[in-house]
Amino acid sequence: MNGARWLVQALAAEGVDTLFGYPGGTIMPFYDALHGSTLKHVLVRHEQGAAFAANGYARASGRVGVCVATSGPGASNLVTGIADAMLDSVPMVAITGQVATTLMGTDAFQELDVFGLTLPIVKHSFLVRRADDLPNVVAEAFRLARSGRPGPVLIDLPKDVQNADASHLPAHAPLPTDPVPSAPDAAYHEAAALIAHARKPLVYGGGGIALGDAVDAFRAFVEGSQIPTVLTLKGLGALPAAHALNLGMLGMHGNRAANLSVQECDLLIVVGARFDDRATGKLAEFAPNARVVHLDLDACEIGKLRHADAAVNGDLRRALDALTPACSAQLHGRNGAARRAWRDTCLQRKRACAPRYDAPGDDVYAPALLKRLSELAPDAVVTCDVGQHQMWVAQHWRFDDPRKHLTSGALGAMGFGLPAAIGAQLALQDGAGAAPRVICVSGDGSFLMNVQELATVARYRLPVKIVLLDNQALGMVRQWQELFFERRYSEVDLSDNPDFCAIATAFGIHALHVERADEVEGALRALLDAPGPALLHVAIDQAANVWPLVPPNHSNAHMLDPEADAIAAVAAPADFPHQEPAHALPA
Amino acid sequence: MRYRLDLTLRQAEGALARVLGAAERRGFRPLSVDGEAQPDGDRWHLRMTVEGERADSALQGQLAKLYDCLAVEVVPCP
Repeated sequence: MNGARWLVQALAAEGVDTLFGYPGGTIMPFYDALHGSTLKHVLVRHEQGAAFAANGYARASGRVGVCVATSGPGASNLVTGIADAMLDSVPMVAITGQVATTLMGTDAFQELDVFGLTLPIVKHSFLVRRADDLPNVVAEAFRLARSGRPGPVLIDLPKDVQNADASHLPAHAPLPTDPVPSAPDAAYHEAAALIAHARKPLVYGGGGIALGDAVDAFRAFVEGSQIPTVLTLKGLGALPAAHALNLGMLGMHGNRAANLSVQECDLLIVVGARFDDRATGKLAEFAPNARVVHLDLDACEIGKLRHADAAVNGDLRRALDALTPACSAQLHGRNGAARRAWRDTCLQRKRACAPRYDAPGDDVYAPALLKRLSELAPDAVVTCDVGQHQMWVAQHWRFDDPRKHLTSGALGAMGFGLPAAIGAQLALQDGAGAAPRVICVSGDGSFLMNVQELATVARYRLPVKIVLLDNQALGMVRQWQELFFERRYSEVDLSDNPDFCAIATAFGIHALHVERADEVEGALRALLDAPGPALLHVAIDQAANVWPLVPPNHSNAHMLDPEADAIAAVAAPADFPHQEPAHALPA
Repeated sequence: MRYRLDLTLRQAEGALARVLGAAERRGFRPLSVDGEAQPDGDRWHLRMTVEGERADSALQGQLAKLYDCLAVEVVPCP
């Protein structure tokens, strides 16, 4: 048995059943060992697709995603997907071939220092110089990827190590995931005391809730305490969109009710969130009246950008379980009247700021289409690309589970959506072949970044449904050029887009086209009813913008929202009693 | 603000680059670096002086998260 064959057996012992990759020169011994193994290898058409597919697989399942590439360009093509896993805390193991150890450092063919290249974007990395190191490396790689705050681990594997004799190595023994530490009791007491004193508390929940397997505990805390809640992009679904206390997403494209409530609250209870700049806007003016209780597994996030008056560092689920009983009676306690009034104010504001979907005209209104699709497919797992469509999904999809929303949050990587959908579809299909509904929402810019993965969809007959919102532009950049660069539209026009339906058809994928609002309902139903993979191409207005928008370096109180302002201007005041006037930008 | 860092590192490929890179990316400029392998041969003892405006606790936390970093102490320089 050589090192490559030992590695394949070790992967199976780690519970890996599916991996995503692309063969090449220095990884050939591994691919030879794969031949006839029990592992399902998914051949993508570009290594970036492998990394994003493994990423989507991990996000959807909570298991470690595995991707494989050869040295040189194969390895460098993985880099964006590895970075995405690092920034969004996704458990992943990336395996790269490397030139033989005797050739390393000689500028050999397809030699690339991927170990050095990825140092800042991995949780850890190993360069395996001896087959004898394989057992420890593989066990540590998987343990690290899934322990604590998850992340990607790289294993760079020279060709001679893959070919080396490994018959003397023991059968692989996976290591257990590290236990999650709990915060000390004193931290809970301190947090509970601050919450008890608050008159206008607000919960700010993030991606750490799902990562910490704390969704149920989070919901119990919110319902027990009756504290209004805002969510980050990655926190969406931690509280169902339909939940009365859910004010929606905060931040640059957040809900007006969410942002204004943050600005007014006197206590922010931060659960698995990290004060990302897209969420806070101008940090110095974020929640200016609030003290902060910060719950996070990663001690480095507490106090990084905003002082925490009470820090609860450790297991989120246990922390929330500990706080819920203490906070559940507070609505009727010392500050009960103030708390009830605050909750009612937030909920009234939420009603007043609810998005409208009755856009005039015959054109397709993307927010209305997405809201309708979420109603027609409430069980769907949704992957997104990056841009305007990504924000529309965040704003208008009715998420009830954070693991149903797979989005490149921190890195913001265009090209993520389609390969991530491939990974999610494979992760969620059970052995009997039952196929959960996976929908990829993309834009015309993003889609072409990994369009080659349509071949992967077709090859494996994955019933992924693709909604391609085509505004013939790089819409988000165009919107910023319109608003902040005096309409100097620089390199954003995509009016020479190819015929996307013809492209899908060429790959053997059923395609539909819609361009009028009255065609949407039928097209969505046809898409969902299609037996296999299908693409719905949606022509939308090139000038459509995402609202609300907080301009960069402004407080979240300064939301631009011409659409809502126009509606408010014609609506009877009684319909919108709590609508705040749109703030003009400061000179 | 200047800080002195005392680190014990696994003697592993990339450990030194990870520490230096993490310090720089987190906003601390290395001013001096020295160190040596410990007699047992599988650890390094590294001493660094860095300069930065951010909280030293943030740097200590980020370095402590590195797999190869077995111990780290950050103290303000007089």
